[in-house]
Amino acid sequence: MIEAPSTLPTGGARLPRGQTLRRGLAANPLLVVGGLLSALIVLIALLAPLLAPFPGDAGTATHPFLVLRPPSAQHWFGTDNVGRDVYSRVLYGARISPLIAVAVLAIACAVGIPLGVAAGYFGGWLDEVIMRVTDIFLAFPPLLFALALAAVLPASITTVIIVIALTWWPWYTRLVRGQAASVAGRPYIDSCRALGISRRRIIFRHILPNSITPLIVQVSLDVGGVILTVSALSFLGLGAQDPTPDWGLMVAEGQNYFLTSWWVVTFPGIAILVTAFAFTLLGDGLRDLMDPKRIFLR
Amino acid sequence: MIVYVARRVALAVLVVAGVIVLTFVIAHLVPGDPAATWAGPHASAAQVAAARRYLGLDRPAAVQLLGYFGGILAGNWGLSIHTHRPVLSDLAAVAPASLELVTVALIIALVVAVPLGLVSARWPGRAGDQAIRAGSILGVSMPIFCLALILQLVFAQRLHLLPVAGEYSPGLLFSHPLTRVTGFGLIDAPLTGNWPMFGSILSHMLLPAVVIAAYPAGLLTRMVRAQVLDTVGDAHIQMVRALGFGERAVFGRFAMKLAWNPVAAAVALVFAYSLVNTFLVEAIFDWPGLGSYATASITSLDTPAILGVTLFIALVYVAANLAVDIFQAAIDPRIRLR
Amino acid sequence: MKPHRAGLLLASGSALALLVAACGGSSSSAPQHAASQVFTYDTTAPVMDDGWDPATEYSDGIIAMSNMYETLTRYNAVTHKIDPLLATSWSKSADGLTWTFHLRQGVHFHTGRPMTAQAAKAALMRTIKLGGGAAYVFSAVKTISTPDASTLVFHLKYAAPVDLAASAAYSAYIYDTQAPGGGSLAKWLNAPHDSGTGPYTVQTWNKGQEFEVILKAYPGYWGGWNGPHYKKVVFRVVSQDSTSAQLLRSGQVTFVEQVSPSVWQSFKGDPGIRTVSAPSWQNLLAQINSKTLDLKLRQAISYGINYPGIIAALHGAAVPSSGLIPDGLFGHSTDLPNYTYDPAKAAQMLKQAGYGPGGKPLNLTLTYTQGDSNEQVVATLLKSSLAKLNIDLRTQSLAWPTQWAKAKSSDSTNHQSIFLEYWWPDFADPSTWFTNLLLTEHPPYYNLSYYSNPALDKQINKVDELTATDPTAGSQLYHAMQVEVLQEAPLQALYNVNYQYAMRNSFTGFVSNPAYAGVVFVHNLKPTG
Repeated sequence: MIEAPSTLPTGGARLPRGQTLRRGLAANPLLVVGGLLSALIVLIALLAPLLAPFPGDAGTATHPFLVLRPPSAQHWFGTDNVGRDVYSRVLYGARISPLIAVAVLAIACAVGIPLGVAAGYFGGWLDEVIMRVTDIFLAFPPLLFALALAAVLPASITTVIIVIALTWWPWYTRLVRGQAASVAGRPYIDSCRALGISRRRIIFRHILPNSITPLIVQVSLDVGGVILTVSALSFLGLGAQDPTPDWGLMVAEGQNYFLTSWWVVTFPGIAILVTAFAFTLLGDGLRDLMDPKRIFLR
Repeated sequence: MIVYVARRVALAVLVVAGVIVLTFVIAHLVPGDPAATWAGPHASAAQVAAARRYLGLDRPAAVQLLGYFGGILAGNWGLSIHTHRPVLSDLAAVAPASLELVTVALIIALVVAVPLGLVSARWPGRAGDQAIRAGSILGVSMPIFCLALILQLVFAQRLHLLPVAGEYSPGLLFSHPLTRVTGFGLIDAPLTGNWPMFGSILSHMLLPAVVIAAYPAGLLTRMVRAQVLDTVGDAHIQMVRALGFGERAVFGRFAMKLAWNPVAAAVALVFAYSLVNTFLVEAIFDWPGLGSYATASITSLDTPAILGVTLFIALVYVAANLAVDIFQAAIDPRIRLR
Repeated sequence: MKPHRAGLLLASGSALALLVAACGGSSSSAPQHAASQVFTYDTTAPVMDDGWDPATEYSDGIIAMSNMYETLTRYNAVTHKIDPLLATSWSKSADGLTWTFHLRQGVHFHTGRPMTAQAAKAALMRTIKLGGGAAYVFSAVKTISTPDASTLVFHLKYAAPVDLAASAAYSAYIYDTQAPGGGSLAKWLNAPHDSGTGPYTVQTWNKGQEFEVILKAYPGYWGGWNGPHYKKVVFRVVSQDSTSAQLLRSGQVTFVEQVSPSVWQSFKGDPGIRTVSAPSWQNLLAQINSKTLDLKLRQAISYGINYPGIIAALHGAAVPSSGLIPDGLFGHSTDLPNYTYDPAKAAQMLKQAGYGPGGKPLNLTLTYTQGDSNEQVVATLLKSSLAKLNIDLRTQSLAWPTQWAKAKSSDSTNHQSIFLEYWWPDFADPSTWFTNLLLTEHPPYYNLSYYSNPALDKQINKVDELTATDPTAGSQLYHAMQVEVLQEAPLQALYNVNYQYAMRNSFTGFVSNPAYAGVVFVHNLKPTG
């Protein structure tokens, strides 16, 4: 989440159509891989109750006579320290992290877009105030702010969502504001105003649609970042609580047994890695696809 | 230039003030009554009320904020609940080890990222580029605590190549004890001629530093690649080519030079980010720095210490940003004329 | 810079780093000559958090203190007899109200002063007066007299086994009360200093850090230093099992107090490591909040705990318990109406109160100590078995001081429903499970089920004296009390702890002594490596 918003030319940023799209995809195998992986993860999340051999293990069920069994035909990923099937829990975990990510980014957009558009379009003191407040929030590295808040609030999934959303909205405000300001400064907007078109129409028909496109790319890039932040908070015990099959929590609980039972940590860890990787790849590919320069270079 | 620096500093001061206000707000989000915690579990109602007066909690919020502000500026960052020492002196004791660790990690990251980014930009779209891009995305997607556990298992336990945990090997406590001068082990050891200790600290630092370097390495590789690709189409690069310089020189000498500016900015930002990543790594390697202190504070619900760490890192972040802004303006005149 | 130049830099840089690492690293993997004289004790939590006062220490501090301080007598768990230590012999009068101890000659405190009867008396009187820790072991003592410099006489209010009390793990240390000259002893001790007679004395205390306490040999120790002995003792705080295991395998620590059972099993077969499994007098208690949960609910919860499941999941670290008193102590009985895991019965009892499956959900909270993976497993299993009974148990892991403070807080809405903690005796006597955990307490200290039963209080206050004068009657009273406690269910002993120690086999002489939980008497060890 350190990356400044991409250096996209603001004018022609649009998703290419038809042949250009196909050529773009062929030129971008990483995008294809990212897209397929992300779709697979979403599918797993949706179908978890059908795919998991022990769905109760994602809840409060335990099997104390089957603790720490290595991967076998019955338990593909082995069992954890209270006998729960790691495979089932990893599958159900696909519902948690991405869901939190969606909630977080939705809130961040819901807050960031209006503020950004307002700051960019109206300018002046409103812009100054909003930007200074954003600067203050941006003075905290994302995990740090989330951590400080999560440490003082009771640990739960709701806390995690609120806390990370509070950390994320400033980036989007800034991104949208930059776009909105640039669009608002263009001559045709002046023409609109001269023609007497209402402010609301100008904002909703012209400013908003043109400001959001880079945001879409940024959001898909950020899914991976949010998932990593969620798992970090869970690892520190500040997020979902047992028995929720949150991947970060599973790693935290399993680290004491890592030496003798590597599977308890490894499979949730791979899940986090693959999910973050998939969505970041997708976002990266999307950004490339939308950059006209990129297409010409081939 | 002066005007630019002054404006930047004023902005930084404003941001710092806002950061302090924000930590005050967080501090008061803590559920439960701080006066009751202070007075202790056996306090009577009168004692709790007295504690409230003593702590100034009966004064209006604005006055409390002012008092908090003044306290921070005066160096009173509160008392840590789990060490019973002033938070600021705790931070002074643990920060050097983490600053050392993150610095070494960033050096490792740069050593990896710059060549890889250049190679990637030199032959974009080819298999090598795709592999490096995938690798750098892998670096930024890796859950850092998993990487720490795995590397520790493989390199320390299975292969016995590197030490498992700690800052230096315990035998040296008695044979070559380290005298602290600056607080930074890697500086103090050579300063006092204690080479065995120097080597020991370095070898203990290697694994955690590599783990922390993963994210910056991935990020900076992508940055270098993007920046170099950006400038390579520029007019003055065309001119360099026209003058007859080979591609190697174009990429190595000229494009990279221009890319340094935004990359340096990114390094400053990722420094603070990596400081936070130490929270996830230091406990696994028993590295006695800010991260171990923060995790201990979190598990003991030590709010003053948590906020102290937060404030400290935010200040480092603001300072790093300011330094980079001024540095960039000093090098690139176009910036300060804007 | 040019890519290939960068590559060269990268290569040389990493070569340099590896070279330096090899030089520094070699000193950590191969044991040095000096290292074999250092005994490193790996513990999961800080040792001296309770302070440095031997009179009031009541926690893990004895791990370090038992090497700096000594008691008059020491309990021998192998022979079940009391061995002489600072006292060489003792006798009691016919009526049991006068005990005479003869003190060892030639013993000096670390301050240089000789240990005389007057000094010993001063220490014991101070401990009794301060009343902290386990000072209650001397509650029978009326006065102490010192007819000469090496004789100590205890005059009792009622008959009690003073030799056993003098061997207690806590509050029985003999120390020099005159240490700071004129100033406050407590302040001087917390500096830190120690004024004991033991083989080691404090060298450094790095509070809150990994190498927390370092002890060095006291040359003037009466036990002498002939033959191979460890010259230094280091207490190293390592919170993670996997780190401790790796440190033990590489020889960087000598003794690991506690690891998870699966890690302990993995040490078998390693030629450099010795694993010791030994019974303890320690059990894990679930103290149930008697103020918020009435008798029926407490009993229902007790039937809803999966005892055999917990023991299976802990892989040999736990054995079933019967009643409150562990096996090996006076008063232990297998003939008790212990609870079994009976979810049907629990559901039925809950239904009568309107709860249970199909009824109202019951929301409870449980706190356990952070850093203990066994307690975490127990908490998860409890949550699971109670969930089947429509009881939502919210578990919370807290650092021990935080967990305890929360349970003792004057705001009773802050109190947990179930408090998980280990309990073990202060000396080879079972009364502690009753006097500390079940006596009515206002405000609560260790009675964290907030239980008050005046009839039981009377029995508890009587049992010590009864045991001293009429052991058979004492045993019967303990039996009756355990039955009452089981029926009232203010707490349950979930299991008895089986110590699983792991250590380097570079020394001999280690004997596990359940009377001194976690203590290694380092002077008794002979390094061979």
